[in-house]
Amino acid sequence: MADLEIRDLHVRTDEREILRGVDLDINRGEIHALMGPNGSGKSTLANTLLGHPSYEVTEGSIAFKGEDITGAEPHERAKAGLFLAFQYPVSIPGVSVANFLRMAINAKREEPIQVKEFRTQLQHAIELLDVDRAFTSRHLNDGFSGGEKKRAEILQMAMLQPDVAILDETDSGLDIDALRTVAEGVQRLHDEQGLGALIITHYQRILHYVKPQFVHILMDGRIVLEGGVELVERLEREGYDQIRQEFGGEGELAA
Amino acid sequence: MSAATNGATDDGAGNGAIPVSPDAPVQVKAGRHREATLYHALAGAGAGDGRTLAQLREAALKVYEVSELPVWRRSGFWSTSVQDLDLDALETSVQVDGVPAVVTRTLPDRPQAGRIVQSAGAVVQVELDETLARRGVILCSLEQAFEEHAELVCEWFSKRLPIDRHKLEAANAAFWTGGAFLHVPRGVVVEEPFEIVYAIDRAGVAQYGRTLVLGGPASEFCVHEYDLAESFPDGGQALHAGAFEMYLQDGARCRLAQFQDWSPARPGEVFDVSTRFVGVGRDAYCHWLPALLGGHLVRQHLELAVMDKGGDMAFRGVFFAEEHEHLDVFAVDLHETGPSGGDVHWRGAATGESRASFEGLIQIDPGAQQTHTYLQIHSMMLSPKARIDAIPSVLVSADDVSASHGGTVGELDETAIFYMQTRGLDRAAAVRVIVEGFFEPLVAELQDEGLEELVRASVARKLAAAREDIEAYATSR
Repeated sequence: MADLEIRDLHVRTDEREILRGVDLDINRGEIHALMGPNGSGKSTLANTLLGHPSYEVTEGSIAFKGEDITGAEPHERAKAGLFLAFQYPVSIPGVSVANFLRMAINAKREEPIQVKEFRTQLQHAIELLDVDRAFTSRHLNDGFSGGEKKRAEILQMAMLQPDVAILDETDSGLDIDALRTVAEGVQRLHDEQGLGALIITHYQRILHYVKPQFVHILMDGRIVLEGGVELVERLEREGYDQIRQEFGGEGELAA
Repeated sequence: MSAATNGATDDGAGNGAIPVSPDAPVQVKAGRHREATLYHALAGAGAGDGRTLAQLREAALKVYEVSELPVWRRSGFWSTSVQDLDLDALETSVQVDGVPAVVTRTLPDRPQAGRIVQSAGAVVQVELDETLARRGVILCSLEQAFEEHAELVCEWFSKRLPIDRHKLEAANAAFWTGGAFLHVPRGVVVEEPFEIVYAIDRAGVAQYGRTLVLGGPASEFCVHEYDLAESFPDGGQALHAGAFEMYLQDGARCRLAQFQDWSPARPGEVFDVSTRFVGVGRDAYCHWLPALLGGHLVRQHLELAVMDKGGDMAFRGVFFAEEHEHLDVFAVDLHETGPSGGDVHWRGAATGESRASFEGLIQIDPGAQQTHTYLQIHSMMLSPKARIDAIPSVLVSADDVSASHGGTVGELDETAIFYMQTRGLDRAAAVRVIVEGFFEPLVAELQDEGLEELVRASVARKLAAAREDIEAYATSR
């Protein structure tokens, strides 16, 4: 059984069915890329996996480490080891990055983390993400640039050490330097901590820096094509339109 | 002008203002306008016009005897009425047994420059750092100050505080006992705060608190006021009618903070009707931050006035109303001369079925040219039945100034809650982070760890108490 097991997932929001039967298996230590054109349901899948209240699962299931979490509260999923890096991280005025991290870490633990241990972890994460130390005393995402917000997401991921992380278009809006830092951070967390990741992206850029073992193409709420990294190259050559012509019609599913 | 007519129309306290002299201004019909449009700053309304203390008490007593308990009406909004207060059942002078436990329990354990504690009608503790005393700092009861430092006190006492706008103000002026007097002389710089405490430890008490603080030229100091109540296990009412005045002379700098929380009295009811005036002299500066955190009915008239050139101020405030509490704040940012600076920034939240009204007024008098000031008020409603009205106003009578206001009324941001939940915080913790974060920019300005923690703990306690309410509200939207 895979660590994260998504079966026949149907999801509605605002009276509209967005996901129409998604199956996906993700294990610790695996990097998956989920690609698809705008409106294909990528962000819906990301939000649903973490239990966003606006998305209703009408059919199917999500299991994590053998437990059915389809109806679990978002914080329970997080505590179990899931993480979502937001496409648009929310600013939390009045709370410093460091204090927020401490709260989040303590939420997962019985005993509060020791100051020294926290500092060591934070120092490590800061170096990994190539951010300034002063960064952690700023209010979370408040007045951050796009690149800073995404770095803050990966910083949180590094500190919380999830088993499986979903990165919802973390690459969008980043310049090439920020993109490289973020991508290398993900790769290192994978290499060092055995992170499993689902990298959701519209573009191919980020996949030059993080190498997925598995690539899935999502269109109209279904995964229409799956394969290895060669799929990314094909997409680069042919674009989504070609694939849509091939698989876009009703009823045609990936193997 | 006689005391009884001074400022009779001041703040629209309709039936509270009784003109007893032929030269009394025409009364404006109460309830037709909001407060600011009726308002006259306390400028010139002060009673300190050379009369003796006995004469002031006598004048106030006359007003007290003929006036009713006040109602402040608000067009289109609601009223603040003190008429449920059974004033006759309260005692002004009661026996007290030392420093109430709530004081020792609440005040941060930290060094202080001095401390004065009044319980009910009597001062029960006065402590002053000996070195400071040798340098001329005075901290004592106001009664004692009238005996021992009469010249100094008489020059300033009630200089800008009226005594006759409504029954409770008159009651304070007529009946005050104990009181606090602080004088920091010229050039004295004090790092640790002076603590001024008013405590009510039982029902049935009418506490008429009276504070006078003088900052001599180029002095620097901090004042922390605490307003605290014990639990009234059998219910019952109590009153704190306060009058606070502070005058900062040339170049003086003061950080003034107030921690006010009468809510521990519940099921008892503490009414708090107070007027506070801070006057900033030439090139002087005041940072003033009241934290109004509870009371059955609280009405605060707060006025921070730049009285001379080069004066500057930061007027901050936080409030949090819960359950059935009623809070009415009228805060004035007054500029009498220019150039001067001002910056008003308040934040408030409400849970339960509480109501809070914050009216903020920028008033720039003729001649206060080159004044630059800004007023912002942010509020957060956390329950379907809570209500906050924020009413900013600007009255400008000079043409070379900048004055503006802004504000937000917010509810909980569900996206932010989800965001934090995906980091492992449960919903209640996420709400707490948001609300604490909402207050934090101002709380951090207290620049005093002990006081900051008190305010944070109070906010956390109120949120925990209203948890179900907040939950139900969020899911209903």
